[in-house]
Amino acid sequence: MSDNAPVSVVVVDDHPAILAGIEAWYAASQRPITVVAAGGAVQEAWTPPGSTADVVILDLQLGEGGPAFGSLRRLVDAERQVVVYSMRDDEQTALNCLDLGAATFLTKSEGREHLVEATLAAADDRPYMPPALAGALGTNTRADRPQLSAREEDVLIEWFQSESKELVAQRLGISVRTVNSYLDRVRIKYANVGRDARTKASLVARAIQDGLVDVADL
Amino acid sequence: MQHGGYGGNGAAEPMHGAGSSERLLILTLQRYGVWLRSGVVCLCGALGVVLADVAEIPPAMSLLVPAVLACGVRLYALRHPRMFPVALLWTLDAAVVVLTGLFQPVLGGEGADVMVEAMVGICVVAFQYEWATRPVAAFGLAALGTVVCVLGDVLSSPGHSADVVPLVRMFVQAGLSRAAFLMVRARARAADRSAAARAASRREAAVAAARRATEREYLATLHDTASATLLMVSQGDGRDWSWLPPRARQDLEALSAMPGFETGSVDLAALLSCVPEGEGPARVQLKTHIEGPIMTPSGPGLAIFNGVREAVTNVARHAGVREAELRAWPEEGGVVVELSDAGRGFDPQSVPARRRGISGSIIGRMHTAGGSAFVTSHPGTGTRVQWRWHGRDREPQAQDGAQVTGDIPRPPRVQAHHSAAVRLIRGQLLYGAQLAVLLISLVWQFTISLRRLMVHQDVYRPAWAQTAAFVCLAAVAVTGGAYLLRGRQIPPRVRGWSLGSVLAASAVCAFTLPPGQSTGPADWAFGVVGWHALFLLADLRVGVYAAFLGAHMGLNATAVFLSGAPPTAAESAVMGISTISACGFQFSVGALVTRLLHGTAPAAGTAAAQEEELRTRERIHEDMQRDHKERYRALTATTVPLLVGLGHGVLSPHDEEVRRRCGVEATRMRRLFAEGDAVADPLLNELRACVEVAEHQGVTVSLAVRGRPGEVPVEVRRELVDPVAVILGHTRSTARVTVVWTPRAVRVSAISEDCADVHHGVGAASPTHGRATDANVTVVRTTRGGSVWVDAGWRRPSASGVDLA
Repeated sequence: MSDNAPVSVVVVDDHPAILAGIEAWYAASQRPITVVAAGGAVQEAWTPPGSTADVVILDLQLGEGGPAFGSLRRLVDAERQVVVYSMRDDEQTALNCLDLGAATFLTKSEGREHLVEATLAAADDRPYMPPALAGALGTNTRADRPQLSAREEDVLIEWFQSESKELVAQRLGISVRTVNSYLDRVRIKYANVGRDARTKASLVARAIQDGLVDVADL
Repeated sequence: MQHGGYGGNGAAEPMHGAGSSERLLILTLQRYGVWLRSGVVCLCGALGVVLADVAEIPPAMSLLVPAVLACGVRLYALRHPRMFPVALLWTLDAAVVVLTGLFQPVLGGEGADVMVEAMVGICVVAFQYEWATRPVAAFGLAALGTVVCVLGDVLSSPGHSADVVPLVRMFVQAGLSRAAFLMVRARARAADRSAAARAASRREAAVAAARRATEREYLATLHDTASATLLMVSQGDGRDWSWLPPRARQDLEALSAMPGFETGSVDLAALLSCVPEGEGPARVQLKTHIEGPIMTPSGPGLAIFNGVREAVTNVARHAGVREAELRAWPEEGGVVVELSDAGRGFDPQSVPARRRGISGSIIGRMHTAGGSAFVTSHPGTGTRVQWRWHGRDREPQAQDGAQVTGDIPRPPRVQAHHSAAVRLIRGQLLYGAQLAVLLISLVWQFTISLRRLMVHQDVYRPAWAQTAAFVCLAAVAVTGGAYLLRGRQIPPRVRGWSLGSVLAASAVCAFTLPPGQSTGPADWAFGVVGWHALFLLADLRVGVYAAFLGAHMGLNATAVFLSGAPPTAAESAVMGISTISACGFQFSVGALVTRLLHGTAPAAGTAAAQEEELRTRERIHEDMQRDHKERYRALTATTVPLLVGLGHGVLSPHDEEVRRRCGVEATRMRRLFAEGDAVADPLLNELRACVEVAEHQGVTVSLAVRGRPGEVPVEVRRELVDPVAVILGHTRSTARVTVVWTPRAVRVSAISEDCADVHHGVGAASPTHGRATDANVTVVRTTRGGSVWVDAGWRRPSASGVDLA
C-alpha cells in the first residue's frame, strides 16, 4: 500500500460517543481514512462492507463478557490488521494482544494522540508503539519475552513516563528519530517471538525491507 | 542491706556488669561471712575466758579485746564500704585469725584445742564468702588460719607433732565453701541471664508501642494544625485571610509543644529576620546586627523568637522610642540574643504580677525551653533584654529530659513482671543452694565421716548399726540428688521418709556410741546429719530446720544422759563448743538460705525491675529523640519557616508563590499521613495521597502503573515520592504520574505540562525536604518549554525473578 493511499477502517465499539470521536479524528487526518462500517459487534468486521476494510479497530470489552481475545485471534488468523482500542490499561492484556498478532494496543486515554497514526501504521504494516504499550513491554517479565538492550528498555520506560519523544530524546541525548527507531526495533522483536501469525510476519518483512532492523538483530 | 547500697562493697571487686541477683547474692554472702565469723569469735572467746583460770585471764583478754575490736571494725566497714581500703580489711581479718590462734597456747588444755579449732574453722569458711570475689585473698586467709592452728598446737604442747587431720579437714571445708559459692553464683547468673533476655524482649515491645503511640500523636497534631492551615492557604485566594496569622502562630506553638521538638534545629538568624516591626504608629525600626546562620534547637529558637516579638511590641507600647537594636551571636555552644532600646526605661520590680508580657512570654517561655532571659532596666536609662541558651548546659537539659520522660508513655505492667522475676530468681537460688548443700553432705560424709567411721570401728557397740546408719544417710543423699539433678522437686512423701531416716540414723549413732565419745572424734554422724537435713528442707522456712536440729541435738543429749556417766563441766563445755561449731554453723547456713530466698531474691527482682524500667525509659527516650529528629528535620526546614512567615505577616497568602509552597508542604504532609496506612502497595498509596491534594486544587492528574509491585522501605518511598509532591504542588493544570516496576528497579516519575516556576529548580535533586538520606535514590530532571519531568529511581536489592505467567 502506498504511503498516501486512502485507508478504509471498520470500527467495532459499542459506545456511540467513542464512534463519533474516532470519526472526527479520522476526518482531520491528512491522509484520507474512511470508516466503512461501525457497530457494537465483531460481526461488522466479517460482513460487507466491513469485511474488506484495511484496518479493524477493536474494542476488547464488548458487552458483558470478558476481553474478546477469541475475536481478535480469529481476525488475525484471517490476516486482518487489528488495532486493539481498550479501556483496559494493564500490561497483561497488552502483552496478550501483541502475542495474538494485533498490530498495536491503544488505551482509550491515548486515542486522541495516537489512534490516527496507529491506524495508518497498521494499514502499512509498519510498527507503532503508543506509551501504554511501551510501559507494558518495558516491564515485561514473561519467560518468552525477547531480549532487549538496556537502552531499549530505558526508551520504552521513559516514553511511557513522559508521553513525549522530545523529552525522551533530550534526556538520553539522542534524536527523536533514534527514539523512534528504538521503539520500532522493540516492536519488531516482539513480532518475531511467540505465536505465529501472518500479520506479525508481514510486520517483520516490512521492517527488514525498510531497513528498520537487520536480519542479524533477530 | 539497704543501707550499704547495691554498689557498696568493700572487700569485693567492683561488680560492673553483674546482674542484680549475682550482685545481691555476693553482698548477702559477704555480710553473712562477716557476721558469722564475728559472732563465733565473740561467743567462743567469751566462753574461753569463762573457762580460763584467773591467771590466764589478763593474757586471754589482751588477745580477745583486739580480736573483738577488729571484728567490730569489719562490721562497721560493711556499712561504710568506701571508708576502708581493701588491704586494711585483709590485715584486720588476718589479725583476727592470728589472735584467735594464739588463744590455744595461752589457755592450754583440750577445751582450748577444740575451741580454737572451731573458731579458726569457722573463720576459714567465713572468709570464703567474705572474700568471695577475691578467691586468692580468701585462700590466703584460709592458709594463714591453718598455719596458726599448727603453730598453736606446737606452742601449747612442745615436742608433740602436729595433728594433720584437723588441717586437712579445714582445707576440705574451705574448698567446699568455695565450691558451694560457685554453684550458687552460677545459678544466680543463670537467673540474671534469663531475666535479662526476657526483659530485653519486653523492652523491645514497650519501645515499639511507645514509638507507635507518639507517632500517632504527632501525626494527629500535625494534621490538625499545620497541614490543615497550609492546605487552606494553598487552595484559596481572594478571600479574607485575617484568621491566618493567629492560626499559624497557634500551629507553631502546638508543634513546638510536642515532646522532642527541641531535637530539630532552626536558623535563629533567619527566624529573627522575620520579627515583625509593627505597623503605623506602633512601628519600631529594628537595627539588627546578626551574622547567621546561628543553628539552635527549634524549642529554644522559637522561645527566643516569640520572646523577641513580645519585647518589640513592648518597646512600641512603653519605651516611647521608635528604634531598637537587635543583636545575636553564638557563645560557648549556645547563643545570646539581645534587644536594647534607649527609651524611658522602667523599674522591673514595680511591674505587677498579672502582667504576663515579661514574666510569661519572655522569661517563662525561655525557662521552659531550657534557657534563660533577663530584663535590665532603670527609669531613664533604656531597657535591655537578653536571652541566653547553652547547648552544653547540663542542668536545663536534665530538666528538659525529665519533662520529656514525664510525657512519654510509661512502660506497661512493670509490676506484673516483678513477681515472675522474683519467682525465677528464687527458683534458681534455691536450686543452687540445694546442689551446694548436697555436695557438702556427700563430700563430708565420704571424707571426714567415712575416715572416722573406719578408724573407730572397734569402739562402736555394735559397729554394724553405725555402718547401717552410714549407708542409710548415703541412700538419702543419693535419692535426693537424683531428683535434684533431673531438675525436679523432691516429692513430699520422699522428703518425709528421708527426714525420718536421717533422724533415725542420728538416734542410732547417738545410742551406739560409748559414753564420753559424743561429739568427739568417734562421732562421725553428729556433724554430717544436719547437712542432709538442710538439703531436704532448704525450701522451707528456717524454723522447720531449727526444729530438726533441735530434735537431733535432743537425741544426742538424751543419749549422753542415759549413758550413765554424766559429763563434767569441762566435757560439757567441749561438747557445747562442738555443737556450736557444727549445728550452730549449719543453722546459720539454713538462715542464710532463707535470707537468700526471701530477702535477696525479692530485692534482686526489684532491682532488676528498676533497672529494666530505667533502661526501657532510656531506650524509649533515645528512640523518640531520634524519631523526632528525623521528623522535625523535615518540618524545621520547610514547614516552620512557612508558618513563621504566615504567622507574622512576612509571607502573604495573596502571593501565588507562597500558596504554591503551602501546597507542596500540604502534599508532603498528606504523603506522611499515608505512610502508616496498612495497604498492599504503600508506594502507590502515598502517591495517590499526593495526587488527591493536587486534584483538590483543580489539577488533572493521570496515574499509571506498570510492572509488578514490590517492597520498598519507607525511607526510600519518601525519597521517591517527594519530587512528585513538589511537581504536583507546582502544576497548574495537567500532570502525569507513573510508577514503573522492573525486576531491577522501581521508577517514580511525574511530568507537568505547565509547571509554575520552572526555572527555580522545582523538583531538582536537592534535599529540600531536609532528611538525612542514604536511600540511594537517583533523581533525574528534564525541562522543555513549560514541561518539567522528574524521574526518581531506586535500584531494588535483588531481582524478584522471572514471571512465568
